[in-house]
Amino acid sequence: MEGFFQALAAGLLIGAVYGLMCVGLGLIFGVMRVINFAHGDFMMLGMYTAFYLFTAAGVQTLFGNTVGPFVAILLAGPVLALFGYVVHRTLISHVSGTRTASLEGEGHYAQLILTLGIALILQNGGLIVFGSVLASIRTPLSSSAWELGPIFDMSIFLNKARSIDMIVSLVMMILLSLLITRTRIGKSLRAAADNPTAATYMGIDVDRAHRTAFALGCGITAIAGGLLATNYPFHPFVGLEYVIVMYAGVVLGGMGSIIGAFWGGMTIGLVQQMSTLILPTQLQNAAIFAVFLLIIFFRPQGFFGRVVERT
Amino acid sequence: MLRIEGLSAGYSAKPVLNDVSIDVGAGQFVAIVGPNGAGKTTLFKTISGIVKPSGGAIIFDGVDLLAVPPPQRAHLGIAHVPEGRQVFPSLTVMENLEMGAMTESGRRDWRTNIERIFEWLPVLKERRDQFAGTMSGGQQQMLAIGRGLASSPKLLMLDEPSMGLAPSTADFIFERLIEIRRQSGLTMLLVEQRVAEALESADHGYVLEAGHVVLQGNNATLRADDRVRKAYLGM
Repeated sequence: MEGFFQALAAGLLIGAVYGLMCVGLGLIFGVMRVINFAHGDFMMLGMYTAFYLFTAAGVQTLFGNTVGPFVAILLAGPVLALFGYVVHRTLISHVSGTRTASLEGEGHYAQLILTLGIALILQNGGLIVFGSVLASIRTPLSSSAWELGPIFDMSIFLNKARSIDMIVSLVMMILLSLLITRTRIGKSLRAAADNPTAATYMGIDVDRAHRTAFALGCGITAIAGGLLATNYPFHPFVGLEYVIVMYAGVVLGGMGSIIGAFWGGMTIGLVQQMSTLILPTQLQNAAIFAVFLLIIFFRPQGFFGRVVERT
Repeated sequence: MLRIEGLSAGYSAKPVLNDVSIDVGAGQFVAIVGPNGAGKTTLFKTISGIVKPSGGAIIFDGVDLLAVPPPQRAHLGIAHVPEGRQVFPSLTVMENLEMGAMTESGRRDWRTNIERIFEWLPVLKERRDQFAGTMSGGQQQMLAIGRGLASSPKLLMLDEPSMGLAPSTADFIFERLIEIRRQSGLTMLLVEQRVAEALESADHGYVLEAGHVVLQGNNATLRADDRVRKAYLGM
């Protein structure tokens, strides 16, 4: 019983960060309908950005070992958002948005090739620049825990770094929801996603809305990546491991639903941790996809997906 | 206010509009009628910039419209109420109206506009928090019109507001449009297949067939024309 609750707690902690990671991708897919294969590698860049901000750019000396990593992680968000903005402007915008709206397949083939190409460049470029040695953003909190309880003679241990990761994720998620549902920018992003042509009639610059969504998505995933890096070491090819989880989360939540992507990621985190109760650790990822297939079998549109096509 | 001169446009080498010239004066209500596939919707899409013309000119309020990027055209004062309504299904009625008010003038006049829109189309007030995608066709059409009005436009372009609606609903929407125009004096350009109703309420009409303007005149002349009477009015 204690093991069950311990795994549940661990699943909720990691699930919140996975959720945030998926939301970054879900936002891009939901607004732009672009399949971005390079998204895991944008996250990898976010991890390294946080790493170097912490170790080399003075965040460590300024904020210390405990708070410093989280400051660096939050700063990596805007940096990667800017990077995403530039990548969209120079590359992605040529194969998406109004430019390809009238093409067959809306430019999806070109998008696949382009984002795969960007992924390869980032991975191998990362190998040259960062090297192949594992890096991590360690804080003293990574190796200490809070004890919850004892309740009914049970104690659950919450890793301090992961707990703060979860809180940061939830706060980011709340801020993003407010942005999407309450602000003029957020509403125009949703309008552009619903019907790009009608949005143009309203005077919304759809390409600019796409650029905003792309930058925002990159920034959010970068922060999620930094949070993961407080517990998991990373390397230039780490994006590959996560991008599959990201897509599983987005599909599970329902393609196009931003809040769905969060719950998709959360589900994956929970399954991953809970599966260790009955399966060997090596089968964690197999368990994720078994559950994924099971859910998709009964609910092909995902948790929050709309069955109707957009007009 | 809107002058279209010798406009030709089409989709990848298939011409849809051929040397079309149309004039809409300030305060006028102009109707463009014609059969399916005559190019009416393409004409509107060209004005809004979704379709690129192959020749001709569009002058709006003294501005060469073809030099203005599509999303900027709404900001000049053109409101396009598109064919098939095209409301934003996952946004609420209120949010749809807010999207209409993305223009500077729409933001400035938001309070007075929303009051008037709710007065003209009370169903939007009742359903302000409902998702637009869950409303009936007639309600969506009213929302699309309200969304267009929310931008404080100089010109309201309506593409087949009666499309796919029950005759009584279509009648109601026509009656609302005439009332809105009577109270606001707004310049309107209407594309319609319900020729009788369209010509009855418009000041001026154009008959578009296979991409050509085959006939034009004020409403009395058109309704008296033999070809119009035979082909469209069933007389």
